[in-house]
Amino acid sequence: MKITYILFAASVFVLSACNNRKPSEELLNKKAAIPASFNFSKAGLKVITSSINKKEQTMSTLYGNDLALKTAISGTTSYPPGENLTLVTWSQQDDDRWFGAKIPGDLLSVEVVKIISSNTGSITTIYQRFTGKKLIKDIDTAHQQERINYIFSQKPSVMP
Amino acid sequence: MNAQPSKLFKRKPIIIAAILLIGFLSIQFIRPQITNPPVKAEIEAPAEVKSILTRACYDCHSNQTNLRWYDQISPVYWKVASHVNTGRKHLNFSNWQNLAPADQKAILWEAVNQIAAGAMPIKDYELVHPSAAVSKSDLEVLKKYVSSMSPKQISGDTAKINAADKQYVHWQKATADQAKLPKALNGITYIPDYKNWESISSTERFDNGTMRIIFGNPTAIKAIREHHINPWPNGTTFAKVAWDQITDKGGNVHTGAFKQVEYMIKDDKKYAATAGWGWARFKTDKLVPYGKTAMFTTECVSCHKPLSNTDFVFTSPIEH
Ligand code: HEC
Ligand code: HEC
Repeated sequence: MKITYILFAASVFVLSACNNRKPSEELLNKKAAIPASFNFSKAGLKVITSSINKKEQTMSTLYGNDLALKTAISGTTSYPPGENLTLVTWSQQDDDRWFGAKIPGDLLSVEVVKIISSNTGSITTIYQRFTGKKLIKDIDTAHQQERINYIFSQKPSVMP
Repeated sequence: MNAQPSKLFKRKPIIIAAILLIGFLSIQFIRPQITNPPVKAEIEAPAEVKSILTRACYDCHSNQTNLRWYDQISPVYWKVASHVNTGRKHLNFSNWQNLAPADQKAILWEAVNQIAAGAMPIKDYELVHPSAAVSKSDLEVLKKYVSSMSPKQISGDTAKINAADKQYVHWQKATADQAKLPKALNGITYIPDYKNWESISSTERFDNGTMRIIFGNPTAIKAIREHHINPWPNGTTFAKVAWDQITDKGGNVHTGAFKQVEYMIKDDKKYAATAGWGWARFKTDKLVPYGKTAMFTTECVSCHKPLSNTDFVFTSPIEH
């Protein structure tokens, strides 16, 4: 009889433990968050493609405004003023909810490429890089052209 | 007149006991069937893997159910029979060879994850059959086994590149408006607008060689911002898109062919029967609705079920 009670109590415990909802706060991927002050959401960018760097163990998503997406799909290499391409990169971490997956971990950088036309009519490409959890603006200007070329070379993902 | 009620009173416990006994004996005749059909297409796996599956899973997931004497007594027997009959319907290691190799792999990964999440073997069964428990080291054995089956990524895989290129050219030319939107068997229509939603996460799936982006509709984004995501509000919709992985010479992985898009639409009343979510999957760039019958959703719910304490959602959203 006693054993039945113990089993019963244990099963009630197991069942109730399973039904405990986790608080919303704990469910967000905090490490990977883009600080609200960056106003990323307000830019209204769309996903263009994503990539993984196996060596560095990082994953990136390339976003762009409508103009940038249109240019990218058309395949042209003349980039009109007004384009905004933004590449967000995270380190990877194991998905603790699915053995078999990796998901974004720490936010590493946000790179922004913008095409602007000055009032004299000349068109320039601006590259900016922000790094770390707080997205501090990077003052190192080395490899800028290389990064611009890399970002422009990304082919959009097929999304029917 | 006075003696009679007290006499009856004395007899009452005996009568009750007798009724209970008769009841107990007669329910023994109510026996849902558990048959053990011949095993014709059993799983083949390394001995150490097979012994774990046999010990922990075969009672419910094979035609070799081994009922102990205490399993045979109703009403316990009813519970056991229901576990066995449903368990076999979901997964039967005795009919394993009849599954396509890709499905076999997917189920093994799912099995490992169900064990890791504590969902399998079913807990009330494990309490009564402690020998079925899967230890940490057993789980490691299984993890190693499934990992050995994950697809190897070759750099510059021409077959994959060609498939992707073909799809791309077709997509590039396609006009935006699709005349007739495909519909899943449970009535859920393909939602073309997902690509205009914000992404809430991405995954690299090394179990099946794909990469994914998870999009959330404006209701989902608002809920994330307000930290009201457990449960998710009605109207929340997720779209998860999967592509092949294509590895270039430098070891960078890019998206290849579009494999599928899957939706989860929250409505705790309309979709109460399927964990509060409406499920749909559309395969390939032809957007072929997945499933043979409307019951395809049981697959979705089964695999998402260990996440019941996060409203059946795997993704941990990234605020932005
Ligand atoms: C007591 C019976 C029982 C045992 C033991 C058991 N299962 Fe299950 N299993 C079930 C039932 C019943 C279902 C149907 C889904 C549900 O009700 O949760 C299921 C579903 C599953 C599924 C989902 C299949 C699908 O896609 O529909 C997997 C995977 C699984 N079990 C794996 C395992 C593994 C691996 C073991 C051994 C470690 C195991 N189960 C042991 C009863 C059992
Ligand atoms: C074998 C397990 C499995 C099955 C079956 C499954 N899913 Fe999922 N699902 C996952 C995992 C794991 C994730 C997390 C994202 C990732 O890693 O791809 C996920 C994520 C999702 C998401 C994004 C929201 C979330 O929960 O994170 C949607 C939408 C989704 N699945 C829809 C479906 C639909 C529709 C079906 C059935 C047609 C289905 N799933 C069947 C494992 C499964």
